[in-house]
Amino acid sequence: MKRDSPEAPLPGRFAQQRPQRVRVQAPQNASLTVSAVKPEHTAQEFYVQQLIRSQLRLACAVAAGLLTMLVGISALLALWPTVYEFTLWHIPLPWWILGVGIYPLIIVAGMLFNGAAARNEKRYRSISRD
Amino acid sequence: MINLLSALALVVVCVTTMLIAFHGLRLSRTTSDFYVASRTVRPWWNASAIGGEYLSAASFLGVAGLIVLSGQSGLWFPIGYTAGYLMLLLFVAAPLRRSQAYTIPDFAQIRFEESKSLRKITTYLVVVICWLYIVPQMHGAALTLSIATGLPGWLGPVIVAAVVCITVVSGGMRSVTFVQAFQYWFKLAALVVPTIFLLFQVIPEQSSTARLDSIATQLESVAGLNLYETISIILALLFGTLGLPHVLVRFYTNPTGQAARSTTVIVLGLLSVFYLLPTTLGVLGLLYAPQLGGNAETDATVLLLPSAVLDGFLGDSLTAIVVGGAFAAFLSTTSGLVVSLAGALSQEFFAGTVRGFRISTVLATALPVFIAVVTSSLALAGAIGNVFAFTASTICPLLLLGIWWRSLTARGAIAGMLTGAAACGLALMISSLLPEVDTLWFHMLRQPAAWSVPLAFVVMIAVSRATARSVPANADRIMARLHVPDRDSAF
Repeated sequence: MKRDSPEAPLPGRFAQQRPQRVRVQAPQNASLTVSAVKPEHTAQEFYVQQLIRSQLRLACAVAAGLLTMLVGISALLALWPTVYEFTLWHIPLPWWILGVGIYPLIIVAGMLFNGAAARNEKRYRSISRD
Repeated sequence: MINLLSALALVVVCVTTMLIAFHGLRLSRTTSDFYVASRTVRPWWNASAIGGEYLSAASFLGVAGLIVLSGQSGLWFPIGYTAGYLMLLLFVAAPLRRSQAYTIPDFAQIRFEESKSLRKITTYLVVVICWLYIVPQMHGAALTLSIATGLPGWLGPVIVAAVVCITVVSGGMRSVTFVQAFQYWFKLAALVVPTIFLLFQVIPEQSSTARLDSIATQLESVAGLNLYETISIILALLFGTLGLPHVLVRFYTNPTGQAARSTTVIVLGLLSVFYLLPTTLGVLGLLYAPQLGGNAETDATVLLLPSAVLDGFLGDSLTAIVVGGAFAAFLSTTSGLVVSLAGALSQEFFAGTVRGFRISTVLATALPVFIAVVTSSLALAGAIGNVFAFTASTICPLLLLGIWWRSLTARGAIAGMLTGAAACGLALMISSLLPEVDTLWFHMLRQPAAWSVPLAFVVMIAVSRATARSVPANADRIMARLHVPDRDSAF
């Protein structure tokens, strides 16, 4: 890295445009600047709690669905060997389910959650005065 | 011939990576640039970078290797890696972005301003996780280099470390974003091309009925994992992704919480597309190079397959492409980990200066190289699975409860993380020392996630309940800050 001395600017017309060299440093202590005063309306607090609760309920519902699906499939494959007799292009069905089939479900779950979470936030905005 | 082409591919990847990094250097001006690219990266760009960073040696080499080694059970690993991202989207992506923290220790400090010890413990855990995660990358580099070019294995980790050090020291996060976005597409291409060639070669060759009928039996010939182990791995991967330091730091480069969510959905798509390829190659490996399952070189399946099926110049050049892609995988994941690790180290020990960041970078790469050179490689995907189990038992409960439960206390968080770390770490260590036996308790030691993750959560909740009086006074306001939508994210 080159060092610039401010007294002797480099020749050329870009020299003047060059920004001053600044020593940069990360913030010493990470903390959020949350306002010291309490929110004036308890209604406001209530809306925030409602928002958090609805977002958590949504996330838990999708996660529970995902977990049930994955654990269910693994149990199904372990406990019901007949499923291996179905084949597509000579490859047993479980290989298709695990190798290809689950991914679209994961993406769709993500897209649905994304939309629903944004709707929750929109509802919060429309009722809160913030 | 094979040596020359593969070596050339390796050099091209390393030089390109460094060139893109130097291009980024001109744009890096502030500390914010160094750490989180000033939070101005667009969703598609950022998603490619996340994909590039996340697809490590375990994904590029390990998945196919594991399919050859343990058959259908190997398919669960890419599913877990992808579904883990969905969990990240559900619980962490947007709130963490709004927390305005640079690193996981920063998040711990924002949530619990008074507790210096929580921050310290989180930092140490992040450092341990990063190192555990870098070592398998280095093993992958050693394996790839020795198999593809015949050069001594230790040279691989040294090359990776040198390139990563140069890119990270020169440009920090901004150039790393460029490098990683490029590397996702490069890795994808490096598997797409050989897969297409192999399939075109294999499909006409295999159309005799007798051969086709034997496919199913051949696929099922390998013994897989039992039900407990499968479920434990699913849990480890699902909850482990939440706590990966190098993945989390990426979310800070989104402008808003909503952008963080859109990015994650794109990442889900990118990962799904990518994982189809190692899965296909693994199946081909099982059918065409089953002898690999017998020895320790299953991780090299992707590297060896092109020349096993195709011969002459075509086979050699496809091998060279795969070697280049593999090195892109090692470089991108390692540089992501090194950025998080150096960020944590420099905040902790060097007051967060850019100079401290650079010193930390060198420290962060040197130790894993040493460990990788003196230890021997496990199955890559399995080794990474252990790191996920450890992360799921430590960082994951802190993040989940910290984001969603206002009654979490600093002491509860510390107790939960230490319990999880001790339980998971000891179980993995003991199981690696014991001879392999087919009993439930051995499986529970080898795949601890199914019990160590709930244990960490229970301890964290119980201790928080017991110390309920020390819930931070600003907990409600911090929670509101994490969850209330950003002002600038217009509808």
